[in-house]
Amino acid sequence: MPSEPDDSGMDQFVAEARAFLDEHATRRGQTSDEVVWGEGEDRITYFSTDPPDVEAAKVAAAKSWQKVRYDHGFGWIVGPREFGGRRLSSLHDLVYDGLEAEYDVPDTAVLSLIGLGMIGPTILAHGTDDLKRRYLPAMYAGDVIACQLFSEPGAGSDLAGLATRAVRDGDGWLLNGQKVWTSVAHHAAIGLALCRTDPDKPKHKGITAFVVDMSAPGVEIRPLRQMSGGAEFNEVFLTDVYVPDDHRLGPVDGGWGVALTTLMNERASVGGEGAGAAGRAVGLPFLTELVRANGRLDDAAVRRRLAELFADQAATGYLNHQALRRFRAGEQPGPEASVSKLMYAQNLTRGAHFAAEVIGPRLVADTGEWGTFSWTELLLATPALRILGGTEEIMKNILAERVLGLPKEPSIDNRSPFRELRRSGRAGE
Amino acid sequence: MSTGTGEAIADTARLGASDAELAELRTSVRDFLATRADEAAVRVAMDSERGYDDKVWTQIAAELGLPALALPTEYGGDGYGLVELSVVAGEMGRVLLPSPFFSTVVLAATAVVASGDAVAAERLLPGISAGTTTAALAVPDRAGSWELAAGELGVRVTGSTAEVLLEGVAPLVVGGATADVVLVVADGPGGPTLYEVDATSAGVHRTALRSLDLTRRMARIDFRAARARRVGEPGAAVPVVAHVLDIATAALAAEQVGGARACLETATAYAKERMQFGRPIGSFQAVKHKCADMLTRVQVADAAATEAARAVDGVPGAPEPGVAAAVAHAVCSEAFLAVAAENIQVHGGIGFTWEHSAHLYYRRAKASQLLFGGPAVYYERLLRRAGV
Repeated sequence: MPSEPDDSGMDQFVAEARAFLDEHATRRGQTSDEVVWGEGEDRITYFSTDPPDVEAAKVAAAKSWQKVRYDHGFGWIVGPREFGGRRLSSLHDLVYDGLEAEYDVPDTAVLSLIGLGMIGPTILAHGTDDLKRRYLPAMYAGDVIACQLFSEPGAGSDLAGLATRAVRDGDGWLLNGQKVWTSVAHHAAIGLALCRTDPDKPKHKGITAFVVDMSAPGVEIRPLRQMSGGAEFNEVFLTDVYVPDDHRLGPVDGGWGVALTTLMNERASVGGEGAGAAGRAVGLPFLTELVRANGRLDDAAVRRRLAELFADQAATGYLNHQALRRFRAGEQPGPEASVSKLMYAQNLTRGAHFAAEVIGPRLVADTGEWGTFSWTELLLATPALRILGGTEEIMKNILAERVLGLPKEPSIDNRSPFRELRRSGRAGE
Repeated sequence: MSTGTGEAIADTARLGASDAELAELRTSVRDFLATRADEAAVRVAMDSERGYDDKVWTQIAAELGLPALALPTEYGGDGYGLVELSVVAGEMGRVLLPSPFFSTVVLAATAVVASGDAVAAERLLPGISAGTTTAALAVPDRAGSWELAAGELGVRVTGSTAEVLLEGVAPLVVGGATADVVLVVADGPGGPTLYEVDATSAGVHRTALRSLDLTRRMARIDFRAARARRVGEPGAAVPVVAHVLDIATAALAAEQVGGARACLETATAYAKERMQFGRPIGSFQAVKHKCADMLTRVQVADAAATEAARAVDGVPGAPEPGVAAAVAHAVCSEAFLAVAAENIQVHGGIGFTWEHSAHLYYRRAKASQLLFGGPAVYYERLLRRAGV
């Protein structure tokens, strides 16, 4: 940020936000935590499994709601004014989110999770004025969805080992290679791509970042079907994709610094409250009804496991409250946020397996009975939680090295030229 | 609290320290303990006859005023709450300070306040506040779970209405061998009732027990026609003990977090300096991830203990106190035990020696986990508090 954001006038901001929401959205009725067993939609979704037409309608709704927000000054609360922002503090952002959660509005995750949350701040930090003017207002107005072209088949946890090549071609660059696990690529107008520009330098020092037009010739997007059955992610193949040099982000071979900006903006809220269908399903009220419905409420072993699960869930919730309190008091979230993410994955996974144990064999095939086979959706999603957004192992390295100050593994790949490293996958060469 | 005058005592204005004041309190307690209760001093104290250093206890009261911190102002206290008391408990747990603090202040004084008996409070709390009276609380339920049901207590009332006499055994009493005053829940005419006994009087027979936790000793107390005074109303001890349990498990949770953090720090420091295979062992992921797991446990436990203290103090926005205290008791008990065990593992052979501090923490962790009934009891209590 060029200058200190405005943290004052919160009451007025709240009043303004409330008036805006009252005018443009419907306030939700009193939501009850009470579970009525056997009633309601029998789905425990984590990843979307919407058919294409439903998905397209949801994306359109997300874009138009973002447009309404933007037109009324709530599209980019923390952003600079010259690019359509309000230049208010993160606290204002948080307060707005809290207010909006009381209303029935379209889910805008398709825009916000990657594009507005991570790519926008990266373009703002590293882009030329031209690039910022061209993309930032359009992104925050909901017109442009952005995706992140980082991971590759040969570069997962070791992102700096990426091999997609970018070579000079006149006034621009030609990109060749393969990206993977790209969320929302099939809806995206632009992508932020990390490419190898100098394989003779050590791996962190020969990477350059580009803003890629996803409709450019040579960009091919293929859905990647997950083990859970749906296809929420994509593979993106880049074949002689031309990118003008004015779409380069940051210096040539300076892309690693750009990537760090993006990764720092990866929302710590991956480990949030566990809202949504899955979070509700593994919460104590729902699991208690599950246990009751299966006649196991007096089973000491079941009660013990339920209590153990609830204790950890509640304590994780307390940890998140504490982080929020500190954030409100002006503290920036640190690497400790990894604790939340680890606990979130663990709690959701344990919850799903607890339910499976209570249900027993009736879970393994769809008998039509409410509240049984629907758990398979969550059971098949939870392995992803230990991988996406940084594997459990990488998270533990971060905690051990950055919080506890334990020494790194002796590295054998930070000084040698990239082309001499032993690697898996050879895409882009 | 539901007992008549109890609310009058419990509701007197509770002071809330600011974050800066809490940090200052933490620093002053930590600095004091660093000079007066380092490991060598703790070992001398735990091997002494009383099991703690009376001079250190006197200083804790006279110079730091810690016993008074969370007691009501009308009885010589400072009127703070569990949030502040937890800071003290955490620092004491960090160094495994052998001290009458837990039995006297956290258990006995809390019971007196919760009883709502203003006369007993006037009689006992000023001395506890000043550090001149030590006390213990005996809850001799048969299961050792601090869950009371009439007719199942190991101590019962005999004698006439003019003179109350107690008969029976309290087999496991924290700090019971050295306390000046013993508060005991006994089966009385109206059900479980709290009584006060002079620990040195005839009819009170105390046996110091060999204890798993060398830094917090247990005693057996036999009551043989021991003269007692009733504290609070007849048959009113059930809600009193339930309230004490909330406060005591929440304070214990803070203490457990202090101990767990000490284990984490010791293990981490050792992982940085211990060289094997030409590298610090902390650079191996097998060790590094163990330390990260310990950190995760400690952070979650810390949040649970903090939230429980805020809940019990009635801080706005905090969860329901009974649930939060039960969550903290379970999570912090499990975390401390796991971290204390992993501390030994990170140290390898040296961690299994008598000379190393690791076993003292492991002992405290295991004994604390079982102090109010252990896992089977605390998980079931948690479910009940949550309405399951």
